[in-house]
Amino acid sequence: MTKNKDVLLKIRDLKIQGYSDESWVDIIKGVDLTLHRGEVMGLIGESGAGKSTIGAACMGYARDGTRISNGSIEFDGMELTTATESERRALRGSRIAYVAQSAAASFNPAHKIIDQHTEAPLQYRIKKRVEAQEDAMQLYEKLRLPNPTEIGFRYPHQVSGGQLQRAMTAMAMSCRPDLIIFDEPTTALDVTTQIEVLAAIRDIVEEYNTAAIYITHDLAVVAQMADTIKVLLKGEEVEEASTKEMLDNPQEEYTKSLWAVRSFESPQKYRPKDGVPLISVRNVDASYTGGDKVLDDVSFDIYEGMTVAVVGESGSGKSTTARCITGLLPPSKGEILFRGEPFPPDYRNRTKDQLRQCQMIYQMADTALNPKVKISEIIGRPAAFYSGLKGAKLKNRVDELLDLIELEPSQYYNRYPPELSGGQKQRIGIARALAAEPSFIVCDEVTSALDQLVAEGILRLLDRLQDELNLAYMFITHDLATVRSIADEVVVMQHGKVVEQGPKDDMFTPPHHPYTDLLLSSVPEMDPNWLTTLLEERGIDNVGDAAAARIDPKDKKVSTT
Amino acid sequence: MNVFVIIYYTLLLGGSCLAAFYNKRSAFLLLFSLTLVSFILGIVGGVGALRIVAICAGLLALSAMVSYAFREFLVAIAPTNLAKELRTAPLTAGFGMFIIFTYAIAGIFAPWIAPFGEAQIISSAFAPPDETMLLGADQLGRDMFSRVIFGARNTVALALAGTVMAFLLGALAGLLAATTGGWFDQILARTSDVIMSIPSLIFALLMLSIFGGELANNTTSFVLLTIFAGVTGLLVVTAVSERSLLGWIIGLAVLAGVSTSFALGMLVIFNPSEIILVLVVAVIYSPRVFRLTRAVAGNVVVMDYIEAAKLRGERTWYLIRREILPNSTAPLVAEFGLEFCFVFLLIAGLSFLGLGIQPPTADWGSMVRENATLISFGDVTPLIPAGAIALLTVAINFVVDWMLHRSSGLKG
Repeated sequence: MTKNKDVLLKIRDLKIQGYSDESWVDIIKGVDLTLHRGEVMGLIGESGAGKSTIGAACMGYARDGTRISNGSIEFDGMELTTATESERRALRGSRIAYVAQSAAASFNPAHKIIDQHTEAPLQYRIKKRVEAQEDAMQLYEKLRLPNPTEIGFRYPHQVSGGQLQRAMTAMAMSCRPDLIIFDEPTTALDVTTQIEVLAAIRDIVEEYNTAAIYITHDLAVVAQMADTIKVLLKGEEVEEASTKEMLDNPQEEYTKSLWAVRSFESPQKYRPKDGVPLISVRNVDASYTGGDKVLDDVSFDIYEGMTVAVVGESGSGKSTTARCITGLLPPSKGEILFRGEPFPPDYRNRTKDQLRQCQMIYQMADTALNPKVKISEIIGRPAAFYSGLKGAKLKNRVDELLDLIELEPSQYYNRYPPELSGGQKQRIGIARALAAEPSFIVCDEVTSALDQLVAEGILRLLDRLQDELNLAYMFITHDLATVRSIADEVVVMQHGKVVEQGPKDDMFTPPHHPYTDLLLSSVPEMDPNWLTTLLEERGIDNVGDAAAARIDPKDKKVSTT
Repeated sequence: MNVFVIIYYTLLLGGSCLAAFYNKRSAFLLLFSLTLVSFILGIVGGVGALRIVAICAGLLALSAMVSYAFREFLVAIAPTNLAKELRTAPLTAGFGMFIIFTYAIAGIFAPWIAPFGEAQIISSAFAPPDETMLLGADQLGRDMFSRVIFGARNTVALALAGTVMAFLLGALAGLLAATTGGWFDQILARTSDVIMSIPSLIFALLMLSIFGGELANNTTSFVLLTIFAGVTGLLVVTAVSERSLLGWIIGLAVLAGVSTSFALGMLVIFNPSEIILVLVVAVIYSPRVFRLTRAVAGNVVVMDYIEAAKLRGERTWYLIRREILPNSTAPLVAEFGLEFCFVFLLIAGLSFLGLGIQPPTADWGSMVRENATLISFGDVTPLIPAGAIALLTVAINFVVDWMLHRSSGLKG
């Protein structure tokens, strides 16, 4: 396909300020950006680097509490910073479209998908309703949504996350815009679903020769999508180059560190020859009130000082297993043993000591820490509660714990969670679990809400703590890179069943269970041709749910487990 | 043309030109449209109409200045954290706080501020205002001004006591219902539905006619107060002791002591008929508080940090006190202000009907009724206590608006 090399979007010396603590602070400190027609640019950086802010600025939009203080944004010859609000509004939806991170939160749950799809063309009088609907169905078909003629007439909650994300891309396409801004469209999705969405987005952007800005923190994803990559750090540009050049030969230190993230790997440990497992899950079935079985005959063991990673897509029962172990959801059948002794199924019947042995670290540090309680109390409370520490002893213990998680005690002692960054919050969550002096910690997707660099720091920390304190982890994740770096043993779950389990080495060497194989091959790689190759191998219709459904029940590996 | 009119138009036109020159769009529009309106007003109403406009504008400016100064005063004396919050208050909230402050001073120091006693007859009935009586006399010849000052004390104190009690019961029940859930939640919610389904004024009239007459004596009010305190305390004991028997025994013993002394204390402050009134108000308004608290706490209870605390083995009381309450105070405080207004109006309304505060105690609602006949003679006396009620209600709503705005996170 030939690409028209007119400049579409030109940003010069853009400065954006945010309002905090009664003064304006620079968030974006002079960024330049040039985007040609039909070009896809990837914006990469940690959270707080200003990626999304720039994305919004491309539409001439400053979010609440921010203002564009300097610079120019020129879209197809039109200066957006001086344009009136109504002129800018006329661009949005028709010529510049936006695809948000969480489609589920961005669709209006009260309207059918197709009604929301046709809203923009009708508003701009580009098409009549019926035409717009037919066009929507064509787009749905192009994006390989199942039942393209029917799916639009459902409400957003009746459609799965990956499909919704594609429907949103279709919606962005409804007016055939010149520019689409993708703000982390696949971050909230499973690896297997991610592929479907990536392939769909890439095809449609290519077909209509639409320019796109692709915002993400996942390098492997951006390598598949973008023609050029721009790396941002704290509101400043680090470097910009074409994708291939950037991957092969990054210039700046910061970029190299981003590239090197997944290097961390903890040495694998093996089960002790004879010994009682610390936690042992025996034939557990569980269901939520009145619902179907969510867990079906799940059993695995966790030995002292070891990390067991539980992997699977969302809905595969990983978190439910954790809830059974912690006692939040008493299993309907089977039992949980702790050092060979049965654990009371309901946490309310467990003794203080039993409760202390088993702690939890949550996925969303935002909701896991009470925003109105000081750090000193969040960490100090378990110590005071279980060990009865008071006064100076308690303060020493809190200082010790803050040291352990590599935060300066005097600085954090009196602060509140909303004042901390995501990674710091997660560290506080870890400290709270450690304060109880447990022997076993459930880590529920602890790194999935974090950037790669920060996540790596957390993984290293967890690994170090495991060595120092001889902790056992049950590590719930859908990210296989995480598994590779920290796990000793792996349990793969699908539809509430354990499909395969074993030591990490075995799990990562073929032959795999077909489902494990699907998961493994769906993890994006840094190679820019990875997606193309994969799609050629598997065939365009054999990704995501379709591929999972296609697993042959008579496969040798399936029948043996 | 007299001097006043010339100055009036010069100021307006000069102001609007300045505003236009400095690009103050809204100020310009306001000033210039006022000028245009004044042309018509001047032709229709003459100098008098313009004078009224000028006085209104002056009053508005005066209250704005007072509010601004009062807010800055509060910022200056408050500790840093609070001062930062106060600085976000709009002028209306400053005005509200100033009015509340004035009422509080008037209520607390009533015997020293008021020139005469509240039941002291000093002149003939309906005597006009003079040097000794600022607002004239009422239907028995008592000083109106003194009675308005004492009214601040009686009416506001009763409304405050009623609201606080409604909040204690409602908020505790709501928090406990949200934390516990299940059948406990169902029982409380249905009970509150039953109380709320009866129109509040009719319910109040019913209760007051049962307990108001013969039964309004020390013994009855003591018993009723103890029952009320007992029910409220029972909720606390439930949350604190949970399943430990010893906890229940100690809790119940403490509860008995606390509720008796609470009842005795209330009896010292209020007379029996007032206590009945306070209790009726508390019973009527607590279901609303319960509803709100339960809804707010319901959103907090599902957070992960609550789950973490539950898994730690914390008691319900700790959950309520340290985890849930700090995250639901903002809407509760706002609701407190709002409910206080309603309670205040209910008590004034009941007094107007003759069922609330009994004479000769000064009370704004009954003062309006007693002097109502004067209104047909074109006298403003009955409007003064009514105005006092209106001003306080408006002031509280200004402050509540600000708090609601903050807690809802709305901008602009």
